[in-house]
Amino acid sequence: MKITFRIWILIIAILLSLISIFSIPPTFFEKGVVVSSIEQNSTIFQDGLRKDMIIQSINGQTINTIDDYSQSLSSLNNMDINETQKLTINTKNLEIINLYTKKIINDISVEEIPITRIKTGLDLRGGARAFIKADVPLNDAQLNDLISISEERLNVYGLSDVKFFKVKKSSGENLMGIEIAGSSPEDLEKLITEQGHFEAKIGNETVFVGGDEDITHVGRTGQDSLITDCFEVEGGEACNFRFTIFLSEDAAQRHADITDNLTINGSYLSKKLDFFIDGKPTSSLNIGVSLKGTVTTQISISGSGSGTTRNEAIEAAKAEMKKLQTILITGSLPFKLEIEKLDKISPNLGEQFTRQLLMAGLFAIIAVSLVVFVRYRKIKISIALVSVSLSEVLIILGVASLVGWNLDLPSIAGIIAAIGTGIDSQLIILDEARDKFASMIQRIKNALFIIVTAFTTTFVAMIPLTGFLGFMGIGAASAGLLKGFAVTTLIGITTGVLISRPAFADIAKQLEA
Amino acid sequence: MRFESWYDKNYKKLLIIPAAVLALSLIYLTIFYIQTGDIINKDVSLTGGTTITIQTDISPQQLNDIISQNLTDFEVKAISDNAGNQLQLIITVGEENTETLETILENFLGYKLTSENSSKETTSASLSTDFYKQLVIAVLLAFFWMAAVVFLIFSKGKKAKFWTIVLNIALGFFMGNFFLKTNPVISAIIFIAFAAVLIRIYIKNSVPAFAVMLSAFADIIMTLALVNFLGIKLSTAGIVAFLMLIGYSVDTDILLTTRLLKKHESTNTALFGAFKTGTTMTITSIIAITTALIVVFPFASVLNQIFTILLMGLGFDLFNTWITNASIIKWHVEKQ
Repeated sequence: MKITFRIWILIIAILLSLISIFSIPPTFFEKGVVVSSIEQNSTIFQDGLRKDMIIQSINGQTINTIDDYSQSLSSLNNMDINETQKLTINTKNLEIINLYTKKIINDISVEEIPITRIKTGLDLRGGARAFIKADVPLNDAQLNDLISISEERLNVYGLSDVKFFKVKKSSGENLMGIEIAGSSPEDLEKLITEQGHFEAKIGNETVFVGGDEDITHVGRTGQDSLITDCFEVEGGEACNFRFTIFLSEDAAQRHADITDNLTINGSYLSKKLDFFIDGKPTSSLNIGVSLKGTVTTQISISGSGSGTTRNEAIEAAKAEMKKLQTILITGSLPFKLEIEKLDKISPNLGEQFTRQLLMAGLFAIIAVSLVVFVRYRKIKISIALVSVSLSEVLIILGVASLVGWNLDLPSIAGIIAAIGTGIDSQLIILDEARDKFASMIQRIKNALFIIVTAFTTTFVAMIPLTGFLGFMGIGAASAGLLKGFAVTTLIGITTGVLISRPAFADIAKQLEA
Repeated sequence: MRFESWYDKNYKKLLIIPAAVLALSLIYLTIFYIQTGDIINKDVSLTGGTTITIQTDISPQQLNDIISQNLTDFEVKAISDNAGNQLQLIITVGEENTETLETILENFLGYKLTSENSSKETTSASLSTDFYKQLVIAVLLAFFWMAAVVFLIFSKGKKAKFWTIVLNIALGFFMGNFFLKTNPVISAIIFIAFAAVLIRIYIKNSVPAFAVMLSAFADIIMTLALVNFLGIKLSTAGIVAFLMLIGYSVDTDILLTTRLLKKHESTNTALFGAFKTGTTMTITSIIAITTALIVVFPFASVLNQIFTILLMGLGFDLFNTWITNASIIKWHVEKQ
């Protein structure tokens, strides 16, 4: 067969797509595990380990799989909470040597190095997605404020793989969209929507509030932040936590002025220091006599968490402490918030489902090639048609990984739609090429006319879903969820009409000539 | 040859069949609308509510019994793999019962629901209503613009083309800013006015283009009626399937129209040639989709509904392309 100019373009497009999907050099030659997330307040983070780095060995032991990784850290499991062990961690470009406690196991999550650069969406990979509404209509500037504070809050909390976006309802109302990959904290709802207005009061007077104006530093490591004790309670266990915060001079002075006016009651002052979150009392501290009238910048905040077992109680207390620390650092959100939509998708089924999808694709292709063979009785035609269709799948995936598009289920439906219309178009080319009454050039012209017409109709039919028509007020909110469908369909039919259809026309010409 | 002479004599009469089916579908949808207040059955993704998915081998019936002690309005669905082993149960309730359901499940299962062991999707009613409106607008607009493209390609006359473009852009702005937002009666009247003017332009200037639209319209209406009749609850994905259907159904119609308008042989030869290509296209799609549906079916994902609706739609498309559209265009070509 003669490889014409158009067929060359298709071949080049396939090669570029392969590069885009597998990257150069292909990642399947790399050894190690990749860091999928890392706790930002951890020693290992301070030592320079970051998300996406590839861990290749620990203490000289080569890491090829997740199992190797867990194995090499397994000796830490039996250590006490404060005990440390020396670890030498080698990533591709970095060697980290330090003493670590067993906390490091929870600070780092790793996954196998992905073979392709194709990213899957939340519904296949697991994760959380939320649409948040404020109590007042937000303009664009306010929405940006809200996003930046929420971003900081989730970062401080330790969630790194978070994406924020704007969503417009058809009423023109702005919503904040959040997407978190992987597993999400249990109290995500509260973390996002709690306005987080923290107030410390003595009687009716406010001593300090959350945020960096009154609080200069929040202790989050070592003796400044810990679980103090655990004990049995009715129905399970409870644990107390305590952490230290440092007040600004103004706030410390306020504390001094207010306590100066209190009377002494035994070893404590007559009024307590009460803490409120969003107007609700959370805990109280007795104020020691020695603090009366003194300017103190260091204040200890305490609280507790409970659960049915000791471990659950410790986890609950830690989570509560982390949330409180987050609120104290980031201050309060400017609006009261409400969840309009919250999806938490477990990562467990995704992999199995992806495999099933590939199977479905494979069977569909076999079915198509059989039908085509039955109709045309030529194995070459069947092979040509199926391989051009497969190349279209590759090109769509290549473009998707090039632009970093997350393939969710609607996107996959879009690929199916594009391939379906692609096969239709190829059948048209085949049949037109057999037309006995016209010249070959005329036949191909006829076929391309039908194909371009069909392409244009599908193209305009998809546009309302993409969000491009925002200026007309169309499709902004639904676009957030179904954009994937429109995007992959558009990529598919466009590359189809520009690249693979002309190439297939040349192939068909030669097969029929 | 016997078939050909029979066909030449009766092709106009054949139009009665799709006309009757279309009329029945429209009547059914009208009755459906009067009874339910909407033209479709909406599932939780369009009405708002919560679905919780848990991995368990407890039978759906058993869970049904447990939940029914506390809640009345809920649904339990099982997902299994291809070997028939149950993987998960999906429970759907109204948004207001989310916490009750979580408590019931946690008490029954004896462990806490986390993002590792379960999935939870909650959507408020107001947001779902908004999604629904926007999707309806997207589908309607997709249909109108598809029709406009077909008209622009097959018709002659600059003036009609100019007004088609202007009217369709205006329709876009109207749909985006007023439709389903302002007074429903007034916006419905304006919408119908747009449709009426456009249809008039199309019929007057290009019967073949109108035949393509009519055939796509019939596909959608007949499929919708069947979906409702079977009691299928539509999700956002289901509505997307209708968009896909527009794309697929128009392909064969355009093929038919082009072959007949640009023919250099007899009408019937061109028509039968188009029929051969067109049915290969549709049947290939039907077989591929059926195969894929069988493979992904047990996972009860959004793809099931998309594939199911596409299958019904493609079936109706065979009918509408080769009876409705073919008869109209043959009539039109032979009249000239």
